[in-house]
Amino acid sequence: MNKRLLLLLLSFFATHLTNAQDEFIARQGQVSFFSYASVENIEAQNNQVLSILDVANKKIAVSMLMRAFVFKKDLMYEHFNESYVESDIYPKATFEGNIIDFDTKASNQVKIIEGNLNIHGITKKTNLKATISKDENAYLITGEFVVLVNDFDIKIPPVLTSNIAKSITLKFTFQYQPYEE
Amino acid sequence: MKNRTHPFLILVLLFVSHFSTNAQDLLKKLDKEHKDTPQYKIATFKTTRIGLGHSIETRKKGTLEISLYNRYWDKPNTQSQRFLADEVNTRYGLSYSFSNDFTVGFGYANFDKISDGFIKYKLVKQRVHDKKSPLSITLVQSLSHRKFDNANTNLYSPSSSENKYSFTTQALIARKFSPELSLQISPSFVYRASSNNNNNPNAQFAIGFGGRHKINTHTSIVSEYFYVVNPVKSIDTFNSFLIGINWEVSDLMLQFHLTNARNFAEDTFITETANNFNFKDPNLHFGFNATFILHTKKRTFK
Repeated sequence: MNKRLLLLLLSFFATHLTNAQDEFIARQGQVSFFSYASVENIEAQNNQVLSILDVANKKIAVSMLMRAFVFKKDLMYEHFNESYVESDIYPKATFEGNIIDFDTKASNQVKIIEGNLNIHGITKKTNLKATISKDENAYLITGEFVVLVNDFDIKIPPVLTSNIAKSITLKFTFQYQPYEE
Repeated sequence: MKNRTHPFLILVLLFVSHFSTNAQDLLKKLDKEHKDTPQYKIATFKTTRIGLGHSIETRKKGTLEISLYNRYWDKPNTQSQRFLADEVNTRYGLSYSFSNDFTVGFGYANFDKISDGFIKYKLVKQRVHDKKSPLSITLVQSLSHRKFDNANTNLYSPSSSENKYSFTTQALIARKFSPELSLQISPSFVYRASSNNNNNPNAQFAIGFGGRHKINTHTSIVSEYFYVVNPVKSIDTFNSFLIGINWEVSDLMLQFHLTNARNFAEDTFITETANNFNFKDPNLHFGFNATFILHTKKRTFK
């Protein structure tokens, strides 16, 4: 009885360890967004986005601080955080998803990622296309997708509808290294 | 019996932990990776003035603020033909931020013909999730100038010079209690070389109380009150009070308010407000401030 239990225990530990080796992390991922509107174009960049890639389970997770976005104008930064995404209350935006038909051996592949995007405290099912390239023991994932401001309960006052686009283009670039805790 | 249930419990626990690490906890792992760099509260107030006086806010480096402050009021018992209001006092103002914490500004008000200038320095910034820095503190030094002919002759001695100056030093202390509520206390010291003919103090102390409450993401209700500890004796003065709405429209900040203060320079509205706050003419003043924010420096992305 005791021996069997020990074996079970060991096997659990072993799978835990292999999981760790299958994980890759990006600590300086880039996310930028663009709003093309008639009054002005708004562009912002976040260079401190965190992402983790679980190759064995074909899963990906992204987490970023809204306050880390940098804008062309400082006032835009204040308004973005204070009046739109309310980063005092919702400091982070996250994404969790599964990479469909992910091929661990392919050096270059374009795959669909199905997941949940959480912005402004609202979670929305999102599918996006990403380019995944593998280079020895590192991964690079890039892509672009569009989110609708309305989906995340971000309110644009009627007088400012011509200042901010209803759909925002998001671009992302993640460079992954093997994950060590 | 007890010894046999124990290992089963461990097994169950292991199963649970095993599955949860696979699914949910990628995000939890990322939470641990977020760096602990200090973050400061932003937008305790959205405008650099609450209504009457300065707020703790300063603009970021390279920002030019162009402002137009107006107060409208009626004159009692006059056969006035004016549309809206009989009298208006307008202050034309400019301020420039040399750094994120340091701003210099000046302005001129056309009714009382007072020119004013100020320097403003953000000394302490309130931090997010940090008990060591629970407050923001900003220091303001302002100076106002008027010709003797335009000044309240009770307050200034005619002797020495045509040019009369007043100086106001303020320490603004504010805290953003929640995303909606911010409060500010502003101990103020006003210095003016007074007339020798009366017992008016040269130095006056006052304390200001101000606050804002956001009613939606772009609009907030604001109020301000200045209590003067040692008012001037030669004229009747009242503590100044304001209630209003601040509205942010992109690069433009609009403020609408009701107040008993007619003047804009710190020393005048704190110590020389000659009417109480009520709805009788000429006590009620309607205020409208418009501030345009211009970025002279813009960041460029690669």
